[in-house]
Amino acid sequence: MVPFKYISPKTKVEVLKILRQENSKASIVAGCSNILPYIKDKLISGKLLVDISEIEELKYIKIIDNHLSIGPVTTISDLMNSEIIRKEYNILFHAAEEFADPIVRNTATIGGNLADASPAADTAPPLLVLNAVLEIENLDGKRDVDLKDFFIGPRKNVLHNDEMITGIKIKNQSINKNGCFIKLGLRQAMAISLASIAMVLETGNGKITDVRIAMGSIASKPLRLINVEEFLLNKKIDDALIGESMKKVSETVNPISDVRASEDYRRYVSGILFKRAFQQLTN
Amino acid sequence: MDKIPVEFTLNGQKKQIMVFPNDLLINILRDELYLTGTKYGCGIGECGACTVFINDEPVLSCLTLAASVNGKEITTIEGLAKGNELHPMQIAFLKNAAVQCGFCTPGMILTAIALLKENPNPTEEEIKEYMRGNICRCTGYVQIIKAIKACASEQNKVKR
Repeated sequence: MVPFKYISPKTKVEVLKILRQENSKASIVAGCSNILPYIKDKLISGKLLVDISEIEELKYIKIIDNHLSIGPVTTISDLMNSEIIRKEYNILFHAAEEFADPIVRNTATIGGNLADASPAADTAPPLLVLNAVLEIENLDGKRDVDLKDFFIGPRKNVLHNDEMITGIKIKNQSINKNGCFIKLGLRQAMAISLASIAMVLETGNGKITDVRIAMGSIASKPLRLINVEEFLLNKKIDDALIGESMKKVSETVNPISDVRASEDYRRYVSGILFKRAFQQLTN
Repeated sequence: MDKIPVEFTLNGQKKQIMVFPNDLLINILRDELYLTGTKYGCGIGECGACTVFINDEPVLSCLTLAASVNGKEITTIEGLAKGNELHPMQIAFLKNAAVQCGFCTPGMILTAIALLKENPNPTEEEIKEYMRGNICRCTGYVQIIKAIKACASEQNKVKR
């Protein structure tokens, strides 16, 4: 296999120093479930792998000031084992259930899934509808970035070379509790999503009072469907609404044709996923 | 590339070796330490044949850097039996004809042991769900599921 260097710093500050010093040569790793296949495929070479998997201060799930705060090195298994997430943020729990398989989940991290910035990332649609905010740090300080502004394109995000994700924040809101995540793949398990949807909504008097929709694998990045949300707000829930919304969803997504599906199929099935998620949440 | 020192416990024994930064745990286990029970299936984390325990948690050794196991406890399939006494899961697999070519078997057994630790009495659905990262090309899974159920009920019998 191609050569690379490896270092495993013990603290966050050490990591930031290395990132500043090594610039683009450094690559943060934790579970290695994406980066090792990339290295084997020769998509990445000549890097210094900075292993953050053992840095305890980056691994946490806690409530601070009415916000759920998750450390980037938290594994997908940790998410599933967390009672807070199962009870109060169960859309994230359901996404974790669909993620790879129990073995991969033991080492794959939420920070890694986001930083990899695949349009198919399974934690992205639920975090988008939860209005997650990323805490990003370098040696000079911290900045907050809304998750919806974090992804630029396939495997491209807004992180500078000397920056890392140090936290994922979600504000506690009642809408978070009524959510669902549906993932479509070519097989029942271990599938890269062909299309996925996350939705949270609130209703009152037969009308939609609040709704957030995000989809994966249907554009160059995980996408919040803001225009569909705006369309749905304050509308009465009936079959006509579902039909119209499905059309809007199909028009909004911007998929490509690839090994898993054609653009046409993705466009069509996006509407279906909307319908399934919407019906699940309004019944 | 310079080699780096790694210290870990392997099947109860302390080991101290030198590894290259780009050495994978699976290759160190098989080629340097001659423990060939752990199998190289796909090499990209999709088949489960390379499953080992690190600190009692099942992980994929094909996606684990050897340099990252410093200070950890590793258990491979070879570490399950106590002398000639097989682990109950190994016995269950043999009794229930859950082994054909045997290539997936070490990974299957380790993952199944982890499953029963988390969920001592799983339903068939729960078994299929937990084992979904371990692929078998021979058996069609029926006997594997049967073996896991049998092991679970044996273990639950003993507990009572």
